Parts: sequence; structure tokens; C-alpha cells
Amino acid sequence: MTLASLDRPRGGSVSAARSRRRRIALQKWGPAYVLVLPAMVLILAMMVYPLVQTVVFSFSTVQLPLLTPVFAGLKIFAAVAADPDTLPIALRTLGWIAGTVVIRFVLGFVGALLFNARVRGTVWLRVLVIIPWTLPSVVAANLWRWMLQGDIGVVDQTLRAVGLGALATDWLGDPTFALWAVMLTYSWQGFPFVMLLLLAGLQGIGQDQYEAAALDGARWYQTFRHITLPSLRGLIAIALVLEVVSSINSFDTIMIMTGGGPANATLTFGINIYRTGFSLFDFGKASALSVLLFVAALVVFVVHGTLSRRVARAHGEQSL
Amino acid sequence: MTAVSLPAARSPRSRRRSRAARRAPVYVLVYAGALLLAAFSFLPVLWAISTAFTKTENLYSTPPQWVPSPVTFEHFSAVLGNPQILRGLLNTVVISVATTVVAIVVGLLGAYGFSRYRFPGRNTLLVSVLFTQLFPRVVVIVPFFITLRHLNLMNTRQGLVLVYLMAVFPIAIFLMKGFFDNIPREIEEAAIMDGASLPRMLLQVVIPMCRPALVAVAMYSFILAWNEFLFALVFTQGADLRPLSVALGFYIDQNGIQWGELMAASLLMSLPAVVVFIAAQRLLIRGLSEGAVKG
Repeated sequence: MTLASLDRPRGGSVSAARSRRRRIALQKWGPAYVLVLPAMVLILAMMVYPLVQTVVFSFSTVQLPLLTPVFAGLKIFAAVAADPDTLPIALRTLGWIAGTVVIRFVLGFVGALLFNARVRGTVWLRVLVIIPWTLPSVVAANLWRWMLQGDIGVVDQTLRAVGLGALATDWLGDPTFALWAVMLTYSWQGFPFVMLLLLAGLQGIGQDQYEAAALDGARWYQTFRHITLPSLRGLIAIALVLEVVSSINSFDTIMIMTGGGPANATLTFGINIYRTGFSLFDFGKASALSVLLFVAALVVFVVHGTLSRRVARAHGEQSL
Repeated sequence: MTAVSLPAARSPRSRRRSRAARRAPVYVLVYAGALLLAAFSFLPVLWAISTAFTKTENLYSTPPQWVPSPVTFEHFSAVLGNPQILRGLLNTVVISVATTVVAIVVGLLGAYGFSRYRFPGRNTLLVSVLFTQLFPRVVVIVPFFITLRHLNLMNTRQGLVLVYLMAVFPIAIFLMKGFFDNIPREIEEAAIMDGASLPRMLLQVVIPMCRPALVAVAMYSFILAWNEFLFALVFTQGADLRPLSVALGFYIDQNGIQWGELMAASLLMSLPAVVVFIAAQRLLIRGLSEGAVKG
């Protein structure tokens, strides 16, 4: 606006100049606005509006059936904070995120290193490893639910067949094992993505670096520490962030395998939002929980952004 | 430094052979590791396949029967004769195709606009497109539910397509924008010189040029919509509108869960995604990691 007013034409009426300028602007940018209009509408209708509504709801008691919000101040958040279930759910969710990210990352990294060695006859093995990632999450969850069934599942049957029948149990029905079982399933399905990501990175590292290191008599762990890891740093950061996000997002596997049970052993934050909103129909509380989880996710992003910038600066590189 | 210091005069060939011999244990180790990983990944899939072809009365045997004898197709025929499954399949196909088509249109137009024009508000809009990707999916179910209720789109296929579009269109825009940014504008300028209108140029010049990006976006959108479970569960009720994912998520009848049928249906549902992913592995990974770098 200020820039435009600087080059105001000297003579002639101001409004005529302005309307001419508007006409030119329309000619120049009109098509652009038409092109991005659908995206704009989507953002307004499905992001701005829902966001505002949810924040409003989180400060309201919501009356069914029309979802009428009645302002209630911080009452909902206070209720969430006072709920004795909140802390265990939050801690369990953190454990879930840490566990799945670590398992996925370790398996993915190991897989990437193995398949990067290009040993003859491992190409078809790589295809087999990737297949779980391509399955719909519903299918993966049902498959493991079937395998882990008490007594009739293949895991228990195998244990019994090799004389370890004493270990057989109802893996998903037992609060001690249920969370681990779901984590295993989730990681089984997700680690090939990390593997492919890191494998692409490994294949991009120049072979000459390794040759130079070999000439200098470097051991494998030295090469790994000083060539492989630094070259992968950016991709590792990306993989970790993507995995944390996907871990926060995870719903399908838990919902289908245990639905949050047994005895809340697999009740994570996401499942709790679903349960609160769509089983208990408490939309005020569900909104408040959504706002909290979103803020937490935002904190992860901001912290990661700051950290990676600091790391990059320390290494004198551009941030990602 | 090299040849002189080597002990005796060894032929290059024997030197190479000795290095190979030294590395043989490493190869064996790598191969064993890869084999182990592949077993971990693929044995469960194999079990699903085996279950789908095993007669129900043989499913619970000790030790487990990995090779079905006799092989049966009863589960597949039961699934293909199950009206609920067929209904779910139809819903899934309709929703996936609609999501794909709309995502391509929105993505193509938006990407072209963002790539070729520097209009006021462009950066704000681009950032908000990216911003939508920040929302964890479980966080948006309540907001989307409220919105769909207000738009009167709860429990409709259109509503579900709208929701999937939100998941897909930012990726579509960024993938195609990256593509446009890398192709020179000369051809389009020539077309404009020749008097082509914007819609005509999009159809006859731009679309043929960006076919690889279009294919990537189409595959991504189709598979996402095909596999999606959470939104489908929340935003549709009743067997009539439910997609296949929800039908399989709660596949149970009065006799309990029919695992043979469930695995047969699961195999059928997995086919499109497995085929597309294996065919397009590289393409998708590149798109995902580039998107992440730019984000």
C-alpha cells in the first residue's frame, strides 16, 4: 500500500489512477486468484473455520444434538487437568511415541545399512521387507490381531508346538503385553519407510569418500562415524520428525487391535479424543483435548526447528 | 608407495581374490541380517496368505499349518458374496476416485498459480497450505466433525471426499509446484503469443508436460483414500456408506470373527496399494523427502 502510494501519478484525478491501477492489477493477477481459489476455499472452510470452532468449543460446554456451545471459560481445561486419567494417558502416549520411534528408527537404519551393502541376492529380500509398509493399516492391524490371538493364534500355536506352551498367553488381552504387542505391529508396518528414506540417503553418499578413507586405513566404525552419519544427518532429522508426527497420529492400529483396552493399557491421547468425542459425546472436552494435543505437536515442531537451526549453525551450514 | 611396499610380487588378480576372501564373512553376515529382517517382515504376510486359503477347520491346528492342504477358495467366495463387503468396496472405489480427480484439479490449478504468478498474499497462502499439514490427524477429527455437521455433509460420501482432500491437496500442490518451478516458461509464453487462452494452454500445453507429477499425485491420493480408516470411521455411520476399511476394521458376525474370510478380504483390499507402492517406490520417496526438506 505504501509503496503504491509513492508512485502516484502527478497530474490527473487520484481516483481515476487508482481504478486504472486496480484494472491493471486485476489483469495481471486475476488469473492467479482464480487458479488458487479452490485451495483458498478449502483452507477457509476446512482449516480456519474448524480451528476457530474447536477453540470456541474448548471453552464451552457443548449441548447436543445441535452442538450449541455455551461459554464456560476455563472450566473444561480445569476439568481435564483435574481428571485422574489425564496424566497416565499423557505418559502412556509419550511412552508410545518414544517406543515406536526408536523401534522403527533402529530397524529402518539397520535395514538401510544392510541393503546398502549391495550383497548379491538381497534385492528380492528388500522387496519383501517393504511389503508391510504398503499394506493398509487396517490390514496390518487385523493380521497381527489374528496372529496374537490367545490359544488359536499362530504365535501361541508355535510356542506350544516347540514346547514353550507355558509362554502362550492372550497377548492383546493381557494389560502387561498389549501395549508392546500394538507397538510391535505399528513398528513392523512403519520401519520400511525409514529404511527407504535412509537408503536413498546412503546411496547418495559419494563412493570416493569411502575410498579415500580406506586408503587412509580407516576402520569401518570410523567411516561410519565420520562419513556415513554426518552425510545422513539431515535425512535422519527428517525421518525422526516424520516418525514422531506419524506416531502422534497413530490411531488405526490401536483402535482395531485393542480399542484402548484392556483396562486402558493401550489408551493413548488420540484414542482418548475419539472416545471422549464419539463414544461419550462430550465435545467440549474432546475439543479441549484436541487443542492440547495440537499445542504439544506445535511445541515439538518449534523445538525441532530451533534445535536443527542451532545444530546447522554450529556446523556452519544452512538450516534445512 | 603402493606397489613397492607390498610383500613380494603378487599379481593383481590374487590380491583381488584375497580381498574377496577377507570380506566373505561380512557378506555372509549382511546376507543373514537381510534374511532375518525379510523373515520378520514377510512371515506375517505369508501367514495372512496361508490363512486365506486354509479351510476353517484347519485354521487352529498345532503346529500351525503354513501350507494349506487342501487349498480352498471358500473364504474368497464368501467375501465376494458378502453384500456388506461389496457395498464397502463400492464406497471405497467411488470415494477414492472422486478424491483423486478433485485433488488433481485443485492441485494442478493451485500449483500453477503459485508457480507462475507473484500475487499479493501468495506467501501467506502458501504458508497456510503447508500449515494444514501440521495438524495431527487425531486432532482434526473433532474440528472436522463440527464443520461437516454445519455443512450438512456428515454421513455423506461428499463429506468424506472433502476431508480426504484436506489431507491430500497440500501434497498435490507442493509436488506439482516443484515440478512447474523446474520447467522453463518459454513454451507457455510461446503459446500465449500464439493467442492461446489460459484454460486452453493448461489443457494442451501444461498438462501434457507435467504428466509424471500428475501420476504421482494421482497414486498418492488414490492410495490414501483407499487405505484411510480414522476419518471414515468418524464421519460415516451405518453399513450403507462405510468404506471397505471400516467394514474390515469391525469384521465380525454372530459367530465371532471369521479369520479366513477376514484375511481373504484383507488380501483383496491390499492389492491396489501393494502394486502401486512397489511400482512407484522411488518416486514416492523422492516426493516425500523433498516435501519434507522444503517444509
